[in-house]
Amino acid sequence: MSIRVQLALGFFILILIFLIDFEVNQRLSNQVIKNTTYISNSETVIRNSNILHKDIIEMQSGFRGFLLTGQDVFLEPYYEGLRSVPVLVKDQSKLLSEGQRKKLMLIDSLHLEWIEYANLLISSKLDTFPEASTKYQKLFNTKFRAEVGKKLNDRIHNLFLEMDNSEYQIRQERRAALQETLRNTKTITLTLTMASIVLALLSSFYFVRLITKRISKMVKLAEAVSKGEFRTIEDDKHDELNKLAISLNRMSQTLKKNFTELTKKNSELDQFAYVVSHDLKAPLRGIANIISWIEEDHEKDTTPEIRKNLALIKGRTSRLENMINGLLEYARVGKVRKGLEKVNVSLLLQEVIDLLVPQNFNVIIEGDMPELVTERLHIQQVFSNLISNAVKYNDKAKPTIVIGAKEEQSHYRFSVADNGKGIEKQYFEKIFVIFQTLQERDAFESTGVGLAIVKKIIEDHKGSITVESVPGEGTEFRFTWPKNEL
Amino acid sequence: MKQKTILLVEDDYLDVESVKRSLKKSNIPHTLHVAHNGVDAIEMLTRETDKVSPDVILLDINMPKMNGLEFLGIVKSYYSLKNIKIFIITTSAEEYDKMAAHNLGVTGYILKPLDLKNTKAGDTQKLLAELC
Repeated sequence: MSIRVQLALGFFILILIFLIDFEVNQRLSNQVIKNTTYISNSETVIRNSNILHKDIIEMQSGFRGFLLTGQDVFLEPYYEGLRSVPVLVKDQSKLLSEGQRKKLMLIDSLHLEWIEYANLLISSKLDTFPEASTKYQKLFNTKFRAEVGKKLNDRIHNLFLEMDNSEYQIRQERRAALQETLRNTKTITLTLTMASIVLALLSSFYFVRLITKRISKMVKLAEAVSKGEFRTIEDDKHDELNKLAISLNRMSQTLKKNFTELTKKNSELDQFAYVVSHDLKAPLRGIANIISWIEEDHEKDTTPEIRKNLALIKGRTSRLENMINGLLEYARVGKVRKGLEKVNVSLLLQEVIDLLVPQNFNVIIEGDMPELVTERLHIQQVFSNLISNAVKYNDKAKPTIVIGAKEEQSHYRFSVADNGKGIEKQYFEKIFVIFQTLQERDAFESTGVGLAIVKKIIEDHKGSITVESVPGEGTEFRFTWPKNEL
Repeated sequence: MKQKTILLVEDDYLDVESVKRSLKKSNIPHTLHVAHNGVDAIEMLTRETDKVSPDVILLDINMPKMNGLEFLGIVKSYYSLKNIKIFIITTSAEEYDKMAAHNLGVTGYILKPLDLKNTKAGDTQKLLAELC
């Protein structure tokens, strides 16, 4: 699975968890609202029920007071109740649950029954025609005495008690449910949050492991390749990074192949140069021999013209031999390896200077010369060539050579400067090419191999050489050499 | 003093000439036989009639048919020949050739051209001592 898809999947799962969390919270909070509304509603129900009950009781009390005293004033609460009770019943019925509403309807119908009974008694007591008193007495004896009204009132009273009790009970249940819901909300939210945190942590850990470890592997590969170790890495996943790893491996292998080929070609070339120059020497020496035999055998019968031409042939053959020797030396660079050793550059320079630099030269050594672990012969060859050039091409009255060293991170930067003739800028590249000399060979015998050898040696040791020069004022060669080649 | 017999094994006419001249200039009395390759030289050393019995063999390395080192190996395996002093005269300054020659028991290893007048090189002096 590709990293892109895995990342998208991880985010998708996280978002899903959050959505579930949100939905559950929504539902629970709806339930909380519902329960809270019910509880506050229930308080109104109880209050209304109390008012209704009170109004009914007041109607009953007023009715009884009127019957006993006959005074109209007692009927005021009764008439008030006739108006208010139906309104209260109507309001209350809207607030009640199905079971409670049935009880209210029952109360209402009992109350209406009672009003019918009360109206009959009240109207007969109020009548003024003669038989009215008898009718009232009869009613009073049959109904009131028989406690018809009281029985109705008791039933109404009991129904109210029943209704209030069950309202209290429902309210209690709802309150418990509310508590339960609040607790659940807390638990579920906490659980889901924890789950998403754990998932997020796990997936980030997974991705970090998946990506960083492999990237650091690839970085190591790239570093190794830059150092010339053409390794490959293993990566068994199937994603974008795997494609990168495959490309890197392919690059490394291609480089390895090319590099091996190049090394082979180079060594073939060196071998070729060596063999060719070696084989070229034999006939050349033959020619030189024949010239000297002619000179020996015909010393007396040659003209000065012939002698001059023979001398020219000898000169040219010896130049050719020098060039072949130079080519041999160039081809041999790097072939002769005696092994690494500690080299005290200061002592080595002293030896080279004693051997190559004439007395009239002023040699200044600037800075501390280091101790290297390297091929002694190679660094010696480099210094010998550069110093002998500095001597050879100096035309000043007070010839001077300045040799310096500067420590850098992994290598030293050496410099060999002179106050000689200098080199024009356009020849800076050319002087490092084999057989290139800047003067006519007849005027100045030089094979043009020295700097080519110097460059080859330095590059074999993974260094570089540059030249700076002002014609007429002097030349400075700077080259780098590794501190330690172990 | 008895005149020394020398066998020169050398394929190149110029080198033969060079050795001849060098010997002549040194004024050392000698008899010189020349073989142009290892095969001829073995034949000259081992044939029934006119056998050459040299005191010193001067031997080139690079030769056709049988090179100097092969010739050397064969000579040293002959009981009757193995005590002949052999000097290599070659253009090869290769350490490999030098080591191989010494391992095969040569007396000296001299770089061309042979110059008996200028005997700074140790092995040329050895040769001179053998010839006198």
